[in-house]
Parts: sequence; C-alpha cells; structure tokens
Amino acid sequence: MKEFDAVVIGGGPGGYAAAIRASQLGLSVALIEREALGGTCLNWGCIPTKSLLHSASLLADIRAADAFGISVEGLSFDLAKMVSQSRSAAAQLSQGVKGLMRKNKVTVFEGHARIVSPGLIAVGDDQISTDSIVVATGAVQKGLGSIQIDGKHIWGAREAMTPKRLPKRLLIVGAGAIGVEFACFYRALGSEVTLLEVAEHVLPTEDHEVSALVAEALVSQGMTLRLGQGVQALESQKRGVTAEVGGEQLKFDAAILSVGVEAAIADLGLEELGVEMQSGFITVNDAQMTNVPGIYAIGDVAGAPCLAHKATHEAMIVAESISGGEPHPLQRERIPGCTYGTPQVASIGLREQDAEPEQVKIGRFPLYANGKSVVSGHTEGFVKTIFDRESGALLGAHLVGEGVTELIQGFAVAIGLETTEAELMHTVFPHPTMSEAMQESVLLAFDRPLHL
Amino acid sequence: MPREIYLVKVGMTMTEGMVSEWFIADGQPVSKGDMLYALETEKVNLDVDAEMDGIVKHVVEAGVTLAPGDVVGYIFAADEVIPDDFEGVASTNDTLSTPLPEAMPAPEVPKTSPQPVAASTGAAEQNVASRTEEGRLKASPAARRLAGELGVGIEGVVGTGPDGRIVEADVYAAAKAGSTQPQMILPPVSAEAVANVSPLARRIAEAKGIDLAQIQGSGPNGKILQADLDQVPTAPTAVKSVAAGPKAGSTVPVRGMRKTIAQRMHQSLQETAQLSMDMAAVMDDAVRLRGQLIKEWEGEAKPTYTDLVIKATAKALVRHPMMNSRFDGAEIALLDEVHMGLAVAVPDGLLVPVIRNAHLLSLKEISIESARLASAARAGTLGLDDFAGGTFTVSALGMYGVNSFTPIINQPQSGIIGINQLYDGVAWEGENPVKTTQMNLSLTWDHRVLDGAPAAEFLASVVEFLSEPYRLLL
Repeated sequence: MKEFDAVVIGGGPGGYAAAIRASQLGLSVALIEREALGGTCLNWGCIPTKSLLHSASLLADIRAADAFGISVEGLSFDLAKMVSQSRSAAAQLSQGVKGLMRKNKVTVFEGHARIVSPGLIAVGDDQISTDSIVVATGAVQKGLGSIQIDGKHIWGAREAMTPKRLPKRLLIVGAGAIGVEFACFYRALGSEVTLLEVAEHVLPTEDHEVSALVAEALVSQGMTLRLGQGVQALESQKRGVTAEVGGEQLKFDAAILSVGVEAAIADLGLEELGVEMQSGFITVNDAQMTNVPGIYAIGDVAGAPCLAHKATHEAMIVAESISGGEPHPLQRERIPGCTYGTPQVASIGLREQDAEPEQVKIGRFPLYANGKSVVSGHTEGFVKTIFDRESGALLGAHLVGEGVTELIQGFAVAIGLETTEAELMHTVFPHPTMSEAMQESVLLAFDRPLHL
Repeated sequence: MPREIYLVKVGMTMTEGMVSEWFIADGQPVSKGDMLYALETEKVNLDVDAEMDGIVKHVVEAGVTLAPGDVVGYIFAADEVIPDDFEGVASTNDTLSTPLPEAMPAPEVPKTSPQPVAASTGAAEQNVASRTEEGRLKASPAARRLAGELGVGIEGVVGTGPDGRIVEADVYAAAKAGSTQPQMILPPVSAEAVANVSPLARRIAEAKGIDLAQIQGSGPNGKILQADLDQVPTAPTAVKSVAAGPKAGSTVPVRGMRKTIAQRMHQSLQETAQLSMDMAAVMDDAVRLRGQLIKEWEGEAKPTYTDLVIKATAKALVRHPMMNSRFDGAEIALLDEVHMGLAVAVPDGLLVPVIRNAHLLSLKEISIESARLASAARAGTLGLDDFAGGTFTVSALGMYGVNSFTPIINQPQSGIIGINQLYDGVAWEGENPVKTTQMNLSLTWDHRVLDGAPAAEFLASVVEFLSEPYRLLL
C-alpha cells in the first residue's frame, strides 16, 4: 500500500497541472496515466493538429508567395512526413511533461485506475491510499447513434490526424472547431471536402457574424457546406463510405465524425461510489468538489467547455482547494476559445446574437484597414468588441482572421481585470501589429475610429 | 548620552512658546509615550509625549518663554548617572538662541497632542522610526501588499528592517500578535482612498453612489470586482470587517490619544447640557447630483455625501448663528465664520481636522479640502494649523450601517451633526407609496445655548438644503 496526500487520475493538461500545483503547495502527489502523459490535448488533439495545420498554412503561403516576389517551382508535399512531424512534436512535449513530473517530485503510475472506495485506488496490482482524489480523465469522441467510428473509413480525430493516404472525397460530420480544422487541413492538401452541420451555422457556438465569415471563406476555398443537415446513415464499404444526407445517397472515400465528446469515465468506479453526474459529466462545485467527500473532478470530465486551458485553470483551483486554500472560482463566461481553421477564430464572452441591441455598443474593425494585415496579405476578417452601453464593461470580443488566436488573450486580460473602454483606449498598442485592430475596434464601438 | 527634550514647533507660524506645566517632575522616571509637558503657544495648547523611557531632567522651569527648538530638558537612560550640577549638555543649554535642528519641525508635529480633540498616538510614535526624514513611511512593497491582504494597518507596524523599514515579517508578526491598531476606520472620503478596485467596479460604484469602503472584495488580493457591488449597502452586515484589535482578556493602557479622547468626551458630557434628535432628509436628488458632479469634476474632485452635508450645514449655520457659537459660562459668542470640524477615524483614535471658512467655500472646494484633510489625518501629516478653531463638527458613521446616533459635542462648540447611512424609504404621493432614498441626520446640541425649537429649525434647514441640492451649488 502506497500513500499520498493527493492522487490525480489522468495526465492531460488538467491532471498534470494539478499534480504540479499540488506538489508546489507541499503535498505528496501521485499521478496515474494509462496511455501517454499530456493526454488527448498533447498527444491526440490540440498539439498534433496544430502541427498539421501549420504544414497546410505553410503550403498555402508558399502557393501565395509569388505575390511577394518569390517564385517556387515543382512544389509538392509529403503527407506521411507531415504526420510524422506532428507525431514528433507530440512526443517531444509528452517527454517534457515526464520531466516536469520528475522535477516536481510527482510519482507517476502507468495503468488504468479504479477507485475502490473514497481514499483508495487500485492501479494494476498496486493499491494507493490518499486523502484526495482528482478525476481528470478527460473525454472521448462520441459516435452518432448507430453511426460509430470504425477506424476503417469512418474516422475519429485520431484516424483523421494520422492518414495513410489523402482521401479524394472527404465527408466531415459536424462543423465545430474540430470539424472545421480538419476540413481546412484536408482542403489545403486538395481533398474535395463536404462539411455537414445540423445547426444553421458553422462553428455554431461562435458569434453568428464570425460563423458567416468563416462559412463564406470555406466555400470560397472550394468546400461544399451543408448547413442545417445531418447524416441519416453512414456505412463503411469496401472502398470508402456511403452516406445518406437529406434523402440523397452520397459516396466518399472517408468520413470524419466530429460531433462532440463525452466524459471518459468507463470503469473508474464512480457509479458505485455514487458520484453525481449530469448529462454524462461529473457535477462539481466552485472548488471542483464532487458530492463525494475527498473526490474532485477537473477538465473535460467535469463538463463543458471541453478545452485544455479550462482544464489547466481548474487544475489550479483544485490544488488550492485540496490544500485548504480558498481559490477564486472559474468564471466560465471568461474562458476564451480558439479555432485554427483558415481563417482562425478567437473569442471570449458575450456574442452579439445574445445581446440586447439597446444595451450594448459594438465595434467591428475590418482587418483590411490594419497595416500589418495588409503587408502579410491576410486581410480577411475583423475584430469585434461588445461593450455594456451603460457601464462601459467589455462584455465580449470576437476575432476572425489569420493570427487572431494570438491576440485574444489581450481581451481576456482586459475582461479579467474588469477594464472599461477607457483603459483600452488609454493603452498604447504597438505599431505595426494586428493588435492595433483591437484598439480600433474599441474606438469604433464608441464612434471614434482613427483608421476607418 | 541623555536625549534632549525640545520645545516642539507646532504650525508654521509659531515663533515662541513655553512649557506651561511639567507632567513629569524633575528626576522622575517616564515611559515612552507618556505625556511629558504641556506646551502653550499663542494659538494652541498641547501635550508633548516622551520619546523614550528614562529619567527626566528639567533645565527650564514652567512658564519661561522660549523659541521653538530650544532644549527644555533631557531624558537620561535608566542606567545613566545624572550629575548633581547638571545644567545641560555643552552649549545646547544656551536657550533662546539655539537653532532648531533641521529635521525637527515636521517630524515633531504628528507626535504632539493638539487640544481640540486629538492627541499623540502610540502608533505614530512607533513608526516615526519607520519614516524617512520627509515623513514617508518606509515599508517594502511586499509588506504593503501583505498588510493590505491581512487587513493590518501598516501605520501601526513596528519595522525591523534596515533603518526601521517595515518588512513582510513585521506585518506577519503584527497580524499574529493582534497587536496592531484596528485597521483604519475609513472616514467619509474613503471611497476615493480604496485603491484595489477594478476600473469597471469603480465606475459603477461612482455612478450608483456606492461607497467602496463598505465593500469586501472577492478578487485577487481582495480586489473589488463588479460582482462584489451586489453586497451594497442596506444591511449593516455589509460593514467591512475590521482587523483584529487588542485581544479579549488583555488590558489596553489608556494614554496618548486614547487618554485625551477619554478626558475630553467625558468632560463634554459633564459640562454641557447636550441632547440629540434625528431628522430624515430625502436624498434622491442629492444622489443624482453627486453622480453628475463626480463625472463633471473627474480628476479634480469627488464629492462625498459627507461633503454635501458639510456644505448644507455651513449654509444652515449662516442662517442660524446661534448654532455656530461658543458658550463660556457667562456669555454666548455668536461666530461670524464657519470652521467645520471633520471627524476622521485613525488607528486607535479620532482626529478632527478643520475645514476653514466652510461658509465661503464652494462644494467643490469643500470636497477637495475634506479629501486632503482626511488623507493627511490618516497619513499622520496634519499640521497644527489644520486643527485650529473649529466652530461646528460633522461625524459620519453611515458607512457602518448606522441609522442614528448621539455624537458628542466637541467643546467649546455648541453642536455636532452625525451623518448616517442612506436607506430606502417610502414617500407618499397621495395614496401611493413611492420608493425614495433617505438619510437621517443626528444633531446633538447644547441646551444651554439654544432650545429644542430653534435647534429643530436649524436641522430642518440642513435637511432642506440636502433635499434641494441645487442650492448647494449656489
């Protein structure tokens, strides 16, 4: 029997961060991971897909290089090498997490964990006793009723990020962040992409104006968008798949299912312990506690939004909570989100469609009026800011365009500090950068733009 | 070496003064902080405290007129031998002509005890060591931040760092011992002094007239956020909790400022015929006006409700001069100038700086002056001139959820107004109840000077000005 102050189940961006922070706070900590440190994000999500999308974006830039006086002949690409580059990026970072565990004196157990009783965990033949258990097991991709990922021609994210051959005709079911990112990757490499979404908008959780601009961009890249439509049937054939969409029978070489995730809780022992769940995710309070004393949950398994940075933030909270601190609760409306399609999307807070028009002031600054965007040739997109008309509070920011994912944190800080338009106007934004568009958007909301 | 006792300089205009009374007889022991001698000048009388423990040796008798900075005696350490024929240390005995040591005048002032209502404070005494020559408190940024977090009044912390600098460990020690003064009780102008507020929360508070001093912040390091403003203000439970004072079961020596307050409050109650009454003012227009003025005067002045009451009271005093008076036992002197005392809570006590010629000042000028006085009071940088000559006083407890109290007259004045919290009241428009914002004013006056009816007329005038606040701008 081994004993620790705290045991974290799952080594993703929630779990490993919780282990580090708990150790920093003076607890003895163990972490249990059954696959690879870094979790889905690092091994099968955010990181490798960003590598693939970087390849795609390089390819697009090289194709557009002529306009900047660079001629390239005999351009070709190697899909296998793109994939292996993405795998080595993931492997390198996973190795880094291993080092972080050593450095922070976190004991790592490999294997599947099962909570036997509060305070007691079994991992293979090992029994671990502890005061506090943090469930950070993440989420797995969902199927769609009878339609399930088969790994053959119906792919999940894992298959989609490790293709052996480029599918000529590709169906993507679900135009959320994952669907749009794969659509952009495969389209850049030349696949004929059909993107299906039951909602009326691509990226349905985003501001409608952002979604509309993205939809337009996807279509102009040559994709087929079918909004408001689901797939009735999808079957793997010997070669490719057949899909039934709106009564039509369609044929594709492959299909990617990206219709959401569900909590990864199989065989953890939560049900037997009576851990409360809601819509398939563990219910937690502001301090990440479940209804069972001594059991905590963070990250995807504890509910939407299923984002790595939300998990990492909850990791800080749970570590403080376990070691007797009084953490500041996470404010969900202040979690930014990023989608790395072409164009990129980054957003935080209130969307225009959810605002009462007479209660807000909105600024919408197009990137074609931003100097840095013009010189880089990426003028598609805008920066939208939404302010409370009365108090001047920044309620939301919605950015679309190349490079905007690196800008959103400026607005996240602003919202976090509860700045008003006055502070944003008084701040000096450097020239020439895209960030100037952020300030212009604020100025525009208050009818005083300089460059429009 | 014995330490010199100087004739302290109080106020810029002091040219001469005398020891009017030695409280510690020649050759007797004294403890740091004890009252040592009474200083008398043309303008004020005040008590001067001992700066160290030891044996007092007089070199000047009571009643001899001297120049400020002259040596009037010495304090010998307990183990020092006092020569029988001691008359002073070489040359410094040459009174009248001794130049004032350069660093003396300013730092001395906060340690003295102006008679009006205040006295020297143990806290001020302690952190003289932690002050630079310019009077700036020496404390590390980390210590300041920690003091804020722990709710420890840094003014009361004893510094152990280089040159008496206050370091984090000192703040911890002070918090743990519970030995610091209660955290500054925030005076009426406190909203402006609350620093750790998000810009949004500050803006909303200003627009809605919320006193930020009442709010407990929930953000990082206790920062006040928008959501915290919901705490406001009707329930007295919204009162900001005060950091630990002396522990139950311990004894608190009554000396310095505490002693002066004790004596003067008791004296006031014994010697006058004071009684109190409340009257409610409808404040809806005043709340609106204040919100507009805050916007309009942004960067120049931020009027508080106390400032509005000061202005209204000053105008009412001009109309009712009997309330702006002094009773010396034989005659009532009606005063033609209004000098408004403003009670400001400081660690372990109370100071009452005076807004001079309040009847001649605009609301904006009053607002600027009251902010200056309150922050100087808390920083311990008030000059004696700031205390002199009050003719009436206001005292605010509204930020603690108080709805009525009986303030005690600051003698020899004839009245004092207590400012209470804003509350939701009901006015009747015909048969219909209408929600209004109201505030009670608590007047204590000296019945020897005037009777209930004229006192009520005076209070009604104050209420009238507050209910029709545009008149405060005329």
